[in-house]
Amino acid sequence: MAMRQEACAAAGEALPIETTAPTPDSTVREGEMEGALQVIGEVGYRAASVRSVLEYSGGHRKQFYEHFESLEDCFAQAYEAWAKRLVLSVLEAAVSVEGWRAGVRAGLMKLFQTVVERPAIGRALFIEVHVAGGKALATHDEAVDRVADALDSVRNEIGPDDAPPSQTGLFVVGGIEVCVCDALADGDPNRIWDALPELMRLITVSYLDAQTAAEEAEAARAAVEEVRAKLEGGSR
Amino acid sequence: MTELRLVALAAEEGPFSAGTPLPRRLPPGRHGIPTNLVEEHQRLRLLAAMAEALGEHGYADVTTTHISERANVSTSTFYKHFGNLWDCLLAAYVAAADRLCAEIEGACAERGDEPEAVGESGALATGIDAALAFFAAEPELGQLLSAQAPREASALCAARRILISRLAAMLHRTRGADDDAPQPSGLDERLIDATLAFVNTRLSAGDAERLPELAPELVAILDRPRVAA
Repeated sequence: MAMRQEACAAAGEALPIETTAPTPDSTVREGEMEGALQVIGEVGYRAASVRSVLEYSGGHRKQFYEHFESLEDCFAQAYEAWAKRLVLSVLEAAVSVEGWRAGVRAGLMKLFQTVVERPAIGRALFIEVHVAGGKALATHDEAVDRVADALDSVRNEIGPDDAPPSQTGLFVVGGIEVCVCDALADGDPNRIWDALPELMRLITVSYLDAQTAAEEAEAARAAVEEVRAKLEGGSR
Repeated sequence: MTELRLVALAAEEGPFSAGTPLPRRLPPGRHGIPTNLVEEHQRLRLLAAMAEALGEHGYADVTTTHISERANVSTSTFYKHFGNLWDCLLAAYVAAADRLCAEIEGACAERGDEPEAVGESGALATGIDAALAFFAAEPELGQLLSAQAPREASALCAARRILISRLAAMLHRTRGADDDAPQPSGLDERLIDATLAFVNTRLSAGDAERLPELAPELVAILDRPRVAA
């Protein structure tokens, strides 16, 4: 049961990465977008301002407004760029291993790793987007659809009698998002690793059977232990 | 419009007896209504206005002025009841969570059985039908209960976890009659988490009215751990 390459490739095609060489101006613009996500993740969308973004990223107010109409516009553009990258990196991790379950686990671990490394960006992408609404939220919903489609690739391996309900992909992605949001809101992003076994159980049982889900929860638990061992080894 | 009903502090008889829908504002001038009743009336109006203002302006722009205006009270009255916007939001969340749970429990009780006795997915279907009907009728409360809260409303996270636990316990009870084996820890809570996120996606897309149509799908998804066992 491989997570089909074509499902992920299709998702990737719809979310292209910019390949043009960076210019000084585009580098500043990129910095402003990252600054917007970082600051909004740190202080919240309501409290963020262009000034606080520029304090983080450097650059000038005039240049900021040459790039963006407003902070809202900057956030929407930043959201689009970073959500694309995150979805692609998760899908790439998923197709880099053999088998649907291992692929989902690898994708989730990539997501968790990103959230742990950049918690403020994670808060902006997963929590503050609901505060901002508008274009950023529409981009979020598109990304959710793409990940749900990729998860749904396992349907080709399931007989019609055992086919999960049609909304299962969206349902499961909702569960993943809440898990990420809870860990970020808790203030200790590393806690997110604790959730992996039960999250993988939820995902697996939603598509397959309880026995496979129990096996997957164990596999995820072992994977988390490996991560923790590496982290502890690295911190010595 | 979010429904207001006086459930406490009401006199047994009179214009504002318990359970009667409340007017959006009290009569002007000397009305002889006791102060505690007036204050409770204001508080309930503010809670309803909180959800409505949130629905209209979103977390990004909602202010205490929006809420006070909708509730027909002054901003100083707002601050007599709540320390700030986020206190009001928390109170509105808790009230909405109680209403959702009461709707589900009431629907199950109306069947004439305890959830455990209904068996199979019957109790689950009853609960899901009731929840989705509530969200369809009160989309602002649905948004309030299902959306991720902003950074400033950190207390909402704890209230949300309490609601998740209550709903997960209900979900678990629906399996009680035909599943002796305990569910894996946390799975029911994860299922409820995912359900609320799923509902939020539909509400954000403006699909509130069509939510009840999704009941069979949701029942099948939530029942899958039992069926797949």
